[in-house]
Amino acid sequence: MTTTVSRREFLKLGGAFTAALAVGQMLPPMVAEAARQSGYLNAAGDGFVPSMCEMCVWRCGLIAKVKNGRVVKLDGNPEHPHSKGNLCPRGQSGLMNTYDPDRVLTPLIRVGKRGEGLFRKATWDEALDLVSKKMLDIKQKYGPEAMVFSSTHNISQPLFENLLYAFGSPNYGTQRSLCFNAMIVSNIMTYGMEEPERSYDKVKYIILTGRNLMEAISTSETHDLSFAIDRGVKVVYLDPRFTKTAAKATEWLPIKPGTDLAFHLALLHVIISENLYNQDFVNQYTVGFDKLASEVQKYPPEWASTITGIPADTITRIAREFAAAGKYALAHNGWRTSNFVNSFATERAIAALNAIVGNWGTTMFPSSGEESGALGAPPQPPFPRVSALRLDGVPWKYPFVPLKLGIFQELRDAIVKGDPYTPHGWFISRQNPILSLPDRNKTLEAFGKMDFIVTVDIFLNDTAWFSDVVLPEASYLERYDPLLPVGDKAFLRQPVIEPQGDAKSALWIYKNLGERLGLGDYFQYKDEEDYLKQQLAPLGVSLDEVKAKGYVQLPGEGNEGSAEYKWNTASTKIELYSDSLEKAGFAGCANWEEPPQPAPGQFYLLTGKVAQQTQFATQNNQLLHKYSDEPRLWMNAKVAAQQGLKDGDWVEVTSEVGKVHIRLLATEAIRPDCVYLVPGYGHLSKGLTTAFGVGASDSVLHVSYTDPVSGSQALTQTFVSVSKIADAPQEKTRKPLYLGE
Amino acid sequence: MTIQIKIKEIKDLRSLPKFTYILAILTALGMSTGLYRLYAGLGATTNLSTVFPWGVWISFDLTMVAFSGAAFTLAALVYIFHQHDLHAAMRPTVLFGLLGYSSVLVILFFDLGRFDRFWHFLVYPNLTSALFEVSWCIAIYTTILIFEFSPVIFERFNNQKALSIIAKITIPFVIAGITLSSMHQSSLGALFVIMKPRVHPLWYSILTPEFFLTSSLFAGISTIIIGSYLSIWMYGKTLPQKVIEKLGILMPWLLGFYFIIKIGELIFTHELNLLFTSGIFSVLYLTEMVIGVIIPLILFSMKKVRTNRQSSVIAATFVAIGVILNRFDISWFTLKPLNGVTYFPSWIEVSLLIGVFSGVLLVYTLLAHFFPVFSETMGVEKKPEEKFSPSQVMEPSIGD
Amino acid sequence: MAKYGFLIDASRCIDCRACLVACSAENNVPMTHTRIWIKETGVTGEFPDLKRYTAPYHCMHCVDPSCVSACTVGALQMNKDGIITYDKDRCIGCRYCMYACPFEVPHFEWDKQLALINKCDLCVNRLEEGQAEPACAATCPTDAIQFGKRDDMLALAHERIKNEPNRYINHVFGEHENGGTSTFYISPVPFEELGFPTTKLTESPAEFNRMTTEKGTPIIAGSVLTGMTGIYLALEHLEKKNPVHHIEELEHSESTHEKE
Repeated sequence: MTTTVSRREFLKLGGAFTAALAVGQMLPPMVAEAARQSGYLNAAGDGFVPSMCEMCVWRCGLIAKVKNGRVVKLDGNPEHPHSKGNLCPRGQSGLMNTYDPDRVLTPLIRVGKRGEGLFRKATWDEALDLVSKKMLDIKQKYGPEAMVFSSTHNISQPLFENLLYAFGSPNYGTQRSLCFNAMIVSNIMTYGMEEPERSYDKVKYIILTGRNLMEAISTSETHDLSFAIDRGVKVVYLDPRFTKTAAKATEWLPIKPGTDLAFHLALLHVIISENLYNQDFVNQYTVGFDKLASEVQKYPPEWASTITGIPADTITRIAREFAAAGKYALAHNGWRTSNFVNSFATERAIAALNAIVGNWGTTMFPSSGEESGALGAPPQPPFPRVSALRLDGVPWKYPFVPLKLGIFQELRDAIVKGDPYTPHGWFISRQNPILSLPDRNKTLEAFGKMDFIVTVDIFLNDTAWFSDVVLPEASYLERYDPLLPVGDKAFLRQPVIEPQGDAKSALWIYKNLGERLGLGDYFQYKDEEDYLKQQLAPLGVSLDEVKAKGYVQLPGEGNEGSAEYKWNTASTKIELYSDSLEKAGFAGCANWEEPPQPAPGQFYLLTGKVAQQTQFATQNNQLLHKYSDEPRLWMNAKVAAQQGLKDGDWVEVTSEVGKVHIRLLATEAIRPDCVYLVPGYGHLSKGLTTAFGVGASDSVLHVSYTDPVSGSQALTQTFVSVSKIADAPQEKTRKPLYLGE
Repeated sequence: MTIQIKIKEIKDLRSLPKFTYILAILTALGMSTGLYRLYAGLGATTNLSTVFPWGVWISFDLTMVAFSGAAFTLAALVYIFHQHDLHAAMRPTVLFGLLGYSSVLVILFFDLGRFDRFWHFLVYPNLTSALFEVSWCIAIYTTILIFEFSPVIFERFNNQKALSIIAKITIPFVIAGITLSSMHQSSLGALFVIMKPRVHPLWYSILTPEFFLTSSLFAGISTIIIGSYLSIWMYGKTLPQKVIEKLGILMPWLLGFYFIIKIGELIFTHELNLLFTSGIFSVLYLTEMVIGVIIPLILFSMKKVRTNRQSSVIAATFVAIGVILNRFDISWFTLKPLNGVTYFPSWIEVSLLIGVFSGVLLVYTLLAHFFPVFSETMGVEKKPEEKFSPSQVMEPSIGD
Repeated sequence: MAKYGFLIDASRCIDCRACLVACSAENNVPMTHTRIWIKETGVTGEFPDLKRYTAPYHCMHCVDPSCVSACTVGALQMNKDGIITYDKDRCIGCRYCMYACPFEVPHFEWDKQLALINKCDLCVNRLEEGQAEPACAATCPTDAIQFGKRDDMLALAHERIKNEPNRYINHVFGEHENGGTSTFYISPVPFEELGFPTTKLTESPAEFNRMTTEKGTPIIAGSVLTGMTGIYLALEHLEKKNPVHHIEELEHSESTHEKE
């Protein structure tokens, strides 16, 4: 395995530009320094390289413009279904991510106390030797399960899982329970797949529950929704906030938090009781309809109206309109609707809505998933048997949560409690649990219990800041990752530029660490290119061909748009009612669960995405920081006035687990009983020189609540009180740059 | 009030007046704030903004150019129109013009974002740009002013050869100077022609160049009249009453012509109604017209006023106020503020102005001290036992 | 001749700001400045009857640009495709263009010691390299910014308004303003609500400006030159015929006319 990357060729794109053959060079770290000093990047002229974005999970295909060995611009790849030629603001900022002056470019080993941010540079050998030694020590003393592995899901995940399962630990944390466990588990129970695909080609009526597509951008889907609205498709959008999606929706319903479930149950009630559903489809392709029907009998619109605050007439009308659109209707499953414990039931109701109007094959299709049988893989032995219980209670406490989703907040809680046992080491790859898990103080407590923490990241993000060893991954513009199937193609991520400094790809890191841990058999590839060649072997296509186009056509997957009427459930049909859920003591179909409500004087703490940031990862990106809104606490303007608060005041926000200070935004765009804080700010790491000191962290306030069925974290069940800070500094609000100078 | 004048043959000031030292201090302080501006950038030192990219410096420049028009106006009167009795005013006026234009160039230098590229207008032309034209004309004209002032220098060093050469080529230079002055005085008005969306309709006109040119004529004359009075206080020098009177005769004609074309333009473009319905803008415009044009027009038409020094000065002051107000109105006060953003100068902007203006007076004083600037003016004697009291009459005498 | 044009649709813009980031990346714009920004109505109305519209805004690339006419050193010029380009090596930072532009487009680097202007140049380098669209239009996920031939964009603007009269107000901003531009906006709300400059100009003042500088000033110069020369020669001739001793007379008369 070479330690420096050898020749690279700058590639053609459709013959439009002549390829310039350039000898690979390591970019000196002063590129980052130059970027820091001038604040921008600099250019002369070379070629285009197709690759894939990693600024969020949508992974749009991109085409990178390279000049003089530097990436100077990213554009969407028209041939990638997720970008269709466009990139969202985060995608466009990606080169600043790569050239961030705060990049960690060598392995770091902690010398000060945890949290001081004092590290020394080390070689890869020294760092990997140290990490493997510590991990093996822990394995020997406490068993492999004492090592916790967590990672935000990404394309190299199979190799990460190799590391964790081959090591023998069951303890696998992903971010998914903070995001969409409710939706995934509901879809698995209903349709036997994680998430059916949606098509906007023929849709005529959409209900969006949360899923702020105009701000939580998934480029191609945001595009599709916008064009659907353009051509007159009716979009009903539920959200306690007037988001940018609300501004575009045909009808915005400012629903009370936690009550999406009531709304959907009432829709089901109307459609079923008025016989507006697709009887043929229901009879042929679903089971459990009668039980569902009798359950939703209890939920008329009048009942839902008192709970949700939406007039009964409106609910009835929408139900009828939805049903009238029949198979051209679509109830979007979103990520987690209102983000309450009852969100699982809401997802089940949404899944049922889609089924009973029979939109399968028109607006909903089977998912192609991320696995593709057509691609090869290096050989590896089977994983060792793991006897220890998973700390996060999957599946022994949570039988319905898939292993690869896990319940991250439970994992953290178990570490704090030391129950059923105490782990001693934590291996984190490209994830920031310190900021992403609810109840940050508890997460810091969990970290405090670790003997050894190692993080793979590209910056000193907060988790890296608190680690003992930091291993610098190459950014997505600097590395290969395994091929990713999307639709009928498998797309390639390839280096656009040489990795800066000593940064390495995940494929390299996991292999080299794995070998030192004695797990080399699970990483049987020489280097990244060899891995890819093994993936391509069954297809008989050369790597060079794939590099030129950026993708390879997959055989036999070309039946996109045709639907199979078989589902991977116990009954092979759509399960409106699940016997297995019933057997496990849960409701077999969607039913009403009363959500908790804030006490008088308290507010629901809403969370939600903004188009200019990705969760907790991008606040340091200068190109995004440049155009981001100042993070402030939204409060309804009239409520603020009643509390004697003015726009721009500094306030203290308190929950039962923590408090933060932040400036107030008094606005009409939010329900009177809610406040909203944009996630991702309040970074603790001083190694993030742009992000440090900006805003406050909502994780400090969030209380951990786990849905017993899906393991989903209910972020909006946190209630807060807000008070003015008396002696706060008076600041003028500066005009933000996105509004002009 | 009467003034006592005594004619002297004094060629230069006997001693530097005391206020010179104050001027020096003010100049130094002002220029150092200017240096700070060069170091720290415009954003840190001025209150200029995207909405108001120009401020008091540009308003000052416009005003100073208008008043420095005294030089070409007088040159025209003396050399072209052969009013030889006005010649006495030539040197002090040319010096003031030269220093005035120099101060304009200095302020412009500080105002440029790329002051290191101030010379670009010499090599990168844009013939449709009024500002390009202004730059060239002022640059050449300042050279001509140097030429026109040079006899003072050469006389001091008794360089008769140079003096005779200059005397021979004066007329073409004077004609060139008047032509160039007409061009840039009007082009400064032309600057505003392209700002149609920003300039208030009462001031906006395609005739703005002509307005500026005309007003520079009577601004110049008022400069001479006021200057002759101020120099009594400052230097103990003044101009013969006949000169003042003769200049005064021109005023009603110039002011009247200006009035006609201004009001005529409003009538022609159907904007006359705006004269009374524009709130504060009406007030400003009417103030300009009444104080700056109508009152002095009436005053200067009265022989009583023209033949009395104080009255002439008062009338000229009205004119000057009107011109200052006009230049500040069109370049600042009445420019449409966008998004409610207004402008008021920072202390650094004001300090630089004070510094530069003090510099003008300082250099004027120094040159007047060392060179025969006042060679054709009249001395003013002050009775030693009382502070200068204009109420005493003295017998004039020739020679002292 | 204006070859290219934009159609920007405020009903499609979701304020994601991908265009802002793309422009900054493509054109190496300093971190404290921007060549494109958002015009917004803000959140209007009272909860829950709320509305919000936004539109990205940049240089309009006028057909007869005022800035080009005004620029002291010709740093702003129209190229052969009608793109208003900016030469940062010529600019002297005099900021006349900021007053000339009725659309409030050029921005100045107030925070720099040696400061220049910032302005959209339609990604002229990117287009010359063969890429089809400027960075903002290329990346917009909702096609709120569309790019193509100017005539096509204008036709499309009118067509969209015609097809959906309830969706747009009946005005294409940029069609006639300032004598016509290459950037056309359509919007569900009046443009004043978006904060657009409400210029009523339908002709470019560049025309007046040229008249003044290319005709007016030469006329003044010519007439003054000939006038002064003529008067001088005439009066000189007259004086030679009747010489007068001016100076001495003046000095004598001084002594008798001083008292008031």
